[in-house]
Amino acid sequence: MKILIVEDELKTADYLHKGLTEQGCAVDLAHDGVDGQHLALTHDYDVIVLDVMLPKMDGFSVLRALREVKQTPVIMLTARDRIEDRIKGLHDGADDYLIKPFSFLELLARLQALTRRGRTQEPMQLKIGNLQIDLITRKAWRGATRIDLTAKEFALLAVLARRQGEILSKTAIAELVWDMNFDSNTNVVEVAIKRLRAKIDAAFSPKLLHTIRGMGYVLELQDEEAASPG
Amino acid sequence: MKRSITWRLVAMFAVAALVTFSLIGGALYVVLRGELMRHEREELNTHLQDMMYLIQRITTADRWNRVQTKMDTLTPADGSVRFWVLSDDPRFQYGKGMAEMERMERNADGMGTIVLPQREHAFQTLTRTIPADDERPVIRLIVGIDGAAYAHTLRTFVIAMLALSLTAVLLVMLLGYWIAQLGLRPLKQLSVAAQALSPGSSSQRLEVSPLADELSDLTAAFNGALGRLEAAYKQLEAFNADVAHELRTPLANLIGETQVALSRQRTAPQFEEVLQSNLEELERLRSIVNDMLFLARADQGEAATGLVVTPIEQEVAKTIDFFEFVLDEREMSVAIEGDAAASAPIETSLFRRAMSNLLQNAIQHSPDQACIAIRIEEREAAVRVSVRNPGEPIGASHLPRLFDRFFRADPARHDQGGHHGHGLGLAIVKAVADMHGGEVFATSDDGVTAIGFSVARPA
Repeated sequence: MKILIVEDELKTADYLHKGLTEQGCAVDLAHDGVDGQHLALTHDYDVIVLDVMLPKMDGFSVLRALREVKQTPVIMLTARDRIEDRIKGLHDGADDYLIKPFSFLELLARLQALTRRGRTQEPMQLKIGNLQIDLITRKAWRGATRIDLTAKEFALLAVLARRQGEILSKTAIAELVWDMNFDSNTNVVEVAIKRLRAKIDAAFSPKLLHTIRGMGYVLELQDEEAASPG
Repeated sequence: MKRSITWRLVAMFAVAALVTFSLIGGALYVVLRGELMRHEREELNTHLQDMMYLIQRITTADRWNRVQTKMDTLTPADGSVRFWVLSDDPRFQYGKGMAEMERMERNADGMGTIVLPQREHAFQTLTRTIPADDERPVIRLIVGIDGAAYAHTLRTFVIAMLALSLTAVLLVMLLGYWIAQLGLRPLKQLSVAAQALSPGSSSQRLEVSPLADELSDLTAAFNGALGRLEAAYKQLEAFNADVAHELRTPLANLIGETQVALSRQRTAPQFEEVLQSNLEELERLRSIVNDMLFLARADQGEAATGLVVTPIEQEVAKTIDFFEFVLDEREMSVAIEGDAAASAPIETSLFRRAMSNLLQNAIQHSPDQACIAIRIEEREAAVRVSVRNPGEPIGASHLPRLFDRFFRADPARHDQGGHHGHGLGLAIVKAVADMHGGEVFATSDDGVTAIGFSVARPA
């Protein structure tokens, strides 16, 4: 995935660059609006991360200039937690926005959602290790053993399986499974993961559902050494 | 332009005095002039009657000189009373300036005025015609009185009246100033007392008792405002302290853990562990800051946008759904009761956030296997949603404070909640209610705690 980051705050730009590069993305950086606009217009990116407050030329102007030429997906970053900014951004053709301070996982999830949009049709069957999930009949197997899941448990498993290898924060899980898009400060997700883990992992090996402390959960087949504690 | 109350009162007193004295003076002037004229007329009449009596007895030219002598005698040296006799026969004539007399205008009753040369004031005259008798032809007898004396009296009166009035107005102004000062003294005392209030001691109030009745309302209102300010100020102070406290713990953990980690050689997994632990603390900080920003936006009067008329029961059911696993784990059940058909314009994400905070609170404070009820009540201008759970009774003094930021009815419970919530949950419920034009409420009876909020709906 080829990404352009237009962000003047050096520390933010650096960690975004590092984090996204490590995720296997090709990342270009611009530290002001003029450079950002130039790069955005001369290269073809899969997605552009655009800060609103920029030196020389603000994010909205860059966005308007870009939209006159092409439809590259754009995520706006706004430090101001204000509705006007969001409305203005979306009105000017931004595809999504994030309010600073945002978590890296959140940005990653949004970037993937934007680039996935309108892509190939979803598979009907998912397979992680010996875990098999049929999204149509809503059934799951571990090897030959059929796993009995409630509707919500299956929804949670499907969300994790569709994004296998991707760390999902508790907030993201709450939004994707229950449509609760706020920091809920509850232990709902932990309890749900505990139940799901008891059903799909407890009696089987290798373990597939991993807790990444402080970040969230990931469903993947890990090497034994690299497996996270918990 | 601002004018002092004293000067306004003085000016009003002066105007009132001026109007009063002008009316009295004017009335007195009219009365006095009327009296003077009546007096003048009586005097003229007396003179006229005397002369007519004499003239009627004299019918020959020989004896006419007696009339002339009498008139000469009765005419005073200053000429303030004059007599004229007009007739066609020159023998029966008297007085100077006959020509002017002929032109003199008279009223029906014989009264008239005439201006004589060398006289400053007009003469008031009275004329009578005496019929012919024997040798004497028809004559006209005219008596005139100089108006100077009357005019003088009137002028003196007017001057005196003006002088008196002006003096009186001045006096009224002085007295008015004094009265105003006296009358406004309680206000001044109030102002002095208000100036003495210092920002340091916010519990100070103005004394109501020694002041005038009219000011006690003002004082009470002012004290009320002081009370509200004090409450807000205290809340802000406590809030700042609480924020600092809430942020201090994770910050201290972060600093301490990092210092410990860096003080020795560590392996990569050990550092990883530290970073993970730090991340948890940082997430906690982020969550607090985000919630505070949310509350600040609500404080600034931001209203909910994107309102959609939504069945309330549907949203409540979604929230219960969200807590399904937690409820299962604690073997709790939740029932929805009340007006299932109620709907209201809400911003669903905000409403769910409030609902989820309420349910979370109820689950946290209920024993295992408890039954929680969510009641929906449709009112005329609002839909009320309350979550009822069995739990420890909450003191009446604590109930309204449940929605304060960082408020905990039981201070010992401070850390029991672990990372679930940081004392802002119910404050957020209140903020959501505010954003929907609603309010929050809480009751605690017979071991059942009910906490809820309302959202406005068009009646």
